[in-house]
Amino acid sequence: MARVTIDGRPYEVPDGGSVLGAVRAARVRLPTLCHDPRLAPSGVCRLCLVRIAGVARAVTACTTPLADGMDIVTASPELAAARRGILRMLAARRRSRAALIDESHPYIRVDMSRCVDCYRCVQICDEVQGQFVWHVRGRGLDTRIEPDGASLRESACVSCGACVDTCPTGALEDRLGAAHGAPDTWTRTVCPYCGVGCELDAGTRDGRLVAVRPVIDSPVSRGHLCVKGRYAFDFVAAGDRVTEPMVRGRGAWRTVTWDEAYAVVAARLGDVIRRHGADAAAVLTSARATNEDNYVAQKFARAVLGTHNVDCCARVCHAPSAAALRRVVGAGLATGSFDDIERAATLLVCGANPTESHPVVGARIKQAARRGARLIVIDPRRIELAAYADLHLAVRPGTNVALLNAMAHVVLAEGLGDRAFLAARTSGLEEFRRFLDAWPPSRAAEICGVDAASIRRAAVLYATGAPATSVHGLGVTEHVQGTDGVAALINLALLTGNIGRPGSGVNPLRGQNNVQGAAHMGCDPGVLAGSVPVDQGRVAFERQWGVALPSAHGRTLPQMLDGAIDGSVRALWIMGYDVLLSNPDAAATAQALAALDVVVVQDLFLTETARDYASVFLPACSSFEKDGTFMNAERRVQRVRAALAPRGGSKADWQIVCEAARAMGAGGFDYAGPEAIWDEVRALCAGARGMTYARLDRGGLQWPCPSLDHPGTATLHAETFARGPRAVLEPVPYRESSQTPSTEYPFQLITGRTLYQFNAGTMTGRTRNADLRPADLLDISPDDAARVGVGEGDAVRVISRHGTAVLGAHVDATVAPGQLFATFHQPAVRLNAVTGEGRDPVTGTPEYKVTAVRLEHA
Amino acid sequence: MAYEPVLTKHCAARDGYTLDFYVKNQRGYEGLRKALALQPNDIIEQVKASGLRGRGGAGFPTGMKWQFVLKDTPKPKYICCNADESEPGTFKDHVLMERNPHLLIEGCAISCYAIGAKVAYIYIRGEFYHVQEVLEAEIEKAYKAGFLGRNILGSGFDCDVFVHRGAGAYEAGEETALIESLEGKRAQPRIKPPFPAVAGLYQCPTAVNNVETLCNVPLIVLNGPEWFASLGPEKNGGPKLFCISGHVKRPGVYETSMHTTLRELVFGEQFAGGMIDERPFKAIIPGGSSVPLLLEQDLDTPASFDHIQKAGSLLGSAGLIVMNDSVCAVWLAMNLLHFYRHESCGKCTPCREGTDWLFKLLLRLESGDGQPKDLDLLFGVSTNIVGKTLCAFGDAAATPVLSTMKLFRGEYEAHVREGRCTLPAPWRAAHPVVAAHQ
Repeated sequence: MARVTIDGRPYEVPDGGSVLGAVRAARVRLPTLCHDPRLAPSGVCRLCLVRIAGVARAVTACTTPLADGMDIVTASPELAAARRGILRMLAARRRSRAALIDESHPYIRVDMSRCVDCYRCVQICDEVQGQFVWHVRGRGLDTRIEPDGASLRESACVSCGACVDTCPTGALEDRLGAAHGAPDTWTRTVCPYCGVGCELDAGTRDGRLVAVRPVIDSPVSRGHLCVKGRYAFDFVAAGDRVTEPMVRGRGAWRTVTWDEAYAVVAARLGDVIRRHGADAAAVLTSARATNEDNYVAQKFARAVLGTHNVDCCARVCHAPSAAALRRVVGAGLATGSFDDIERAATLLVCGANPTESHPVVGARIKQAARRGARLIVIDPRRIELAAYADLHLAVRPGTNVALLNAMAHVVLAEGLGDRAFLAARTSGLEEFRRFLDAWPPSRAAEICGVDAASIRRAAVLYATGAPATSVHGLGVTEHVQGTDGVAALINLALLTGNIGRPGSGVNPLRGQNNVQGAAHMGCDPGVLAGSVPVDQGRVAFERQWGVALPSAHGRTLPQMLDGAIDGSVRALWIMGYDVLLSNPDAAATAQALAALDVVVVQDLFLTETARDYASVFLPACSSFEKDGTFMNAERRVQRVRAALAPRGGSKADWQIVCEAARAMGAGGFDYAGPEAIWDEVRALCAGARGMTYARLDRGGLQWPCPSLDHPGTATLHAETFARGPRAVLEPVPYRESSQTPSTEYPFQLITGRTLYQFNAGTMTGRTRNADLRPADLLDISPDDAARVGVGEGDAVRVISRHGTAVLGAHVDATVAPGQLFATFHQPAVRLNAVTGEGRDPVTGTPEYKVTAVRLEHA
Repeated sequence: MAYEPVLTKHCAARDGYTLDFYVKNQRGYEGLRKALALQPNDIIEQVKASGLRGRGGAGFPTGMKWQFVLKDTPKPKYICCNADESEPGTFKDHVLMERNPHLLIEGCAISCYAIGAKVAYIYIRGEFYHVQEVLEAEIEKAYKAGFLGRNILGSGFDCDVFVHRGAGAYEAGEETALIESLEGKRAQPRIKPPFPAVAGLYQCPTAVNNVETLCNVPLIVLNGPEWFASLGPEKNGGPKLFCISGHVKRPGVYETSMHTTLRELVFGEQFAGGMIDERPFKAIIPGGSSVPLLLEQDLDTPASFDHIQKAGSLLGSAGLIVMNDSVCAVWLAMNLLHFYRHESCGKCTPCREGTDWLFKLLLRLESGDGQPKDLDLLFGVSTNIVGKTLCAFGDAAATPVLSTMKLFRGEYEAHVREGRCTLPAPWRAAHPVVAAHQ
């Protein structure tokens, strides 16, 4: 603490920081226009001028470092006159300035006649988002702030809204919700989109969600959001929200009461179990739902239905990350934290496009690279981060393992490994070395399409730039070698001692808000809540639940669908998951769903799956309408809080499951609320024990947090691995995908996400994001486009061995020749008709990232 | 004792700017050779002992500035030569660069050696196209002769000198704005601290020195600090270039010692030779447009940093702007504010908005529409600028108003009372600088 005097009174204020920080900490009023804690102090507006004893000139408090013993004067006739003078100058100027209004952007209104040239928009676009959209042109009185395009809509803007958030005058304003007036209530909650887990303030008025703004003190998002979190919330009030339960009879939907719906569900599930056994029923849960929702859903499957047939959409994304991490280091969790991005000297981004798919983390990586961190990007496409990278390895889709093995080869061959770490904390080095002998960069170069020198350089950059952290996405996991790919990344980290210390780690970028939590709550046939394998947790869970756990192994999602086709699975309860649109090989998925006797869908909207195959529809509410917790990609459990009442008759997922369980006569489902469910999780899982709602209400905590005085765990495996003292270096042989190009199918299609749309489009498709990116497009390299005679916007038929889809073409130089990229957001396109049946043998995760296709003019 | 020029002695020689001439007639690059045989710190000590003060405007001791340059750092260090020379009434540096470029190049190399830098950037103002040509050609010759480049004179010392031409902004002469511009950004000042000596160019330790300052360095190394100090009054040693402009018979750049008084500079036969048409002297701005005016009574002040400051002004860039009785104080202030308003970088509020406000008020007075309260407003706006802006630009911009109001209040009042200027106005009439703005 520092002792200072402010306006004659003594104060104790936190050390460090600026004089402004001290004045604010002392709760003394001092006006500012250009200050924002997210930005470097600029001292531009000059409103916070203060006098400091012993300093000749008046100084701006925001730019003056605090020193112990300072005698600060914030109010005096001179300072008041200076402030009044500044405001008079600004006011006088505004009247004479012609309006400069730009309404081209669907979310942001620009009226530069209100601008006071504080430059906060320019700074935040540079220093936080790293987009450099706002430019200062002219000088002196002719200074004007303009986007880098003819209009904001035509600029490089990524619509994150940071400039709007920081603007002190309304020169930049949100357009959404403006018609409904300013919010009168703000509720702190967590973004419903990706696995970064940004905290946001949801602004409501008259029972309507009218605005979202970032939370400055959020440790994850640090006062930043992306276009989805900040603007794509209108789905909550979409006209086609289903808000009453429905039962289908003779092909037509009939609205029923909840009691009727539960009765139908109970009767039909009971019927299936009676006739075909408990393992003929299965439950699919949602990574969009809370931990509490997911926990009760898997409890329902195991304790009420009596089957381990429970899985969630982690199966189709990061199950390989969990599997590989569990196998090698003993915990299927990110080993580090997002804060490692700033601590790392080297960042390896592998098979991920964070600036579009995890934009707030993407922005943090970009800023880290700008500050001088080494950045290596391994991705087939020339993604935005490649422009900031020391090295971009445009690996051929499906060949990660070969590339990572060759990097490991270089590390060992050139003696760049961390010898002490290898000796103390790993085993199997010699066998691993013998295996890697066969993987010189020259061999990988032929397979991966990356020159050997670049592979070597990547290995040297990674191995010599400690601490190094890696983040990876579905470009690693959604392959037939998904688990192997992650294992190869872990091997690299082990070789170089990059696990278990700050700034290092292997960190999967989770795709959805609670994908980590859903799987971790036991929505996985093989593990119970806390990721405890069924056999290890059986006794404790049976005691807590008061029932015997089933003995038969459960089925994963793909196995459930296989079972539907062969008749061994008859009933499927699907919570918040559009299986038909998001699973690969849509024809096979449709066949499976059609074969089921009972399909219960619990969702906000009548999804493709529900519309075509559901027998019962149970309307759930959105995460803005319920309480609970999400666990983000860095294992941080954060509170989700209801900002709105559930729309119409909709209910929280946990409530629906519990009420259905009770309708089926089950005990142990009479929770008072999400907190009671969470307390049961805490009772069962040592890692959650210290995370009470009371603590979580003060801020998120990183799993594991075993006691009430434990601060949570930022870095796993610091002293020893979760699996024991040593991790085994595991040879990972390379296997070729069956989807390699052929004369019949000469292109490789990669599927993924874009900034403006999200997965099945259930949410973003019902927002104005559609104005920013209208539809699924097929990105094709300029060379290929010219060769096959496809122009921008042409309709193209994409044909694989599994099916076809028609999309508009987008000529895009970020895609390599021979490759194509597309999203799968639109029901009308149904791109997953094209993707194939390839699966990772360990987890069953589909091979979304590579499909051999050919093109035809549509 | 007649002063013997050392900086500009050969400026008039036809090939005085060439490397050969420099080596033959100015003991060219002997200073560098001598310096490379010394420890870097010895050179800093010599410069400190000489009392050399920055010739760009602030008059800060150069040796001390160099001593502040961070030593224990793995980062590279830089010399930035401030050759932006944009202060109105100042035109000495371009003479040195054009007519004695090797003195500057040698100065850059010695200074780099002294602070542990390997690169010097000469940042010249946007309008100095011709200077860029000359400098770059002569730098090329210095490389060929082994005075720049790798392993200079077999000493193991490497040094590169680059010329960077700005895009024409007065603010780029502010040292941190110059650094920003050199980095490819807008020429806007940074917050200090950190000072460039700690975090300058590319956040590396940097010394920013004026052209004339660096040109003195080889002379100090060659002739010794005592010689240098002995040329002028105490703490104001060395040769000094004075730029004399305005209503004098022979405007130009004159080199002399800082013993020389303002009166000698304005009226002396070897200098400006007195007032044009023998019209009465009214006032002088002794240090470029940013400093307060001095009057007839101050003319016997020696033109040194300390003496001028004692007299109530600043030597600044030694741009002496001499005015006769035809110059109206209000017109003068308006003329200068027209400049400052145009050149304000726009970063901080009081300067960006205030300079425009001041100009508009002065324009109103000059146009005969001034109100009595406008004088209070002028004073109020000026005091809201002085000492309250991010860089010294604000003080510079308000000074012409405050100084003329202090010395010639009667003229301001007459403008309000009479609705016109009461002075004879041959000069002003011929130079309607603000016609376009009316």
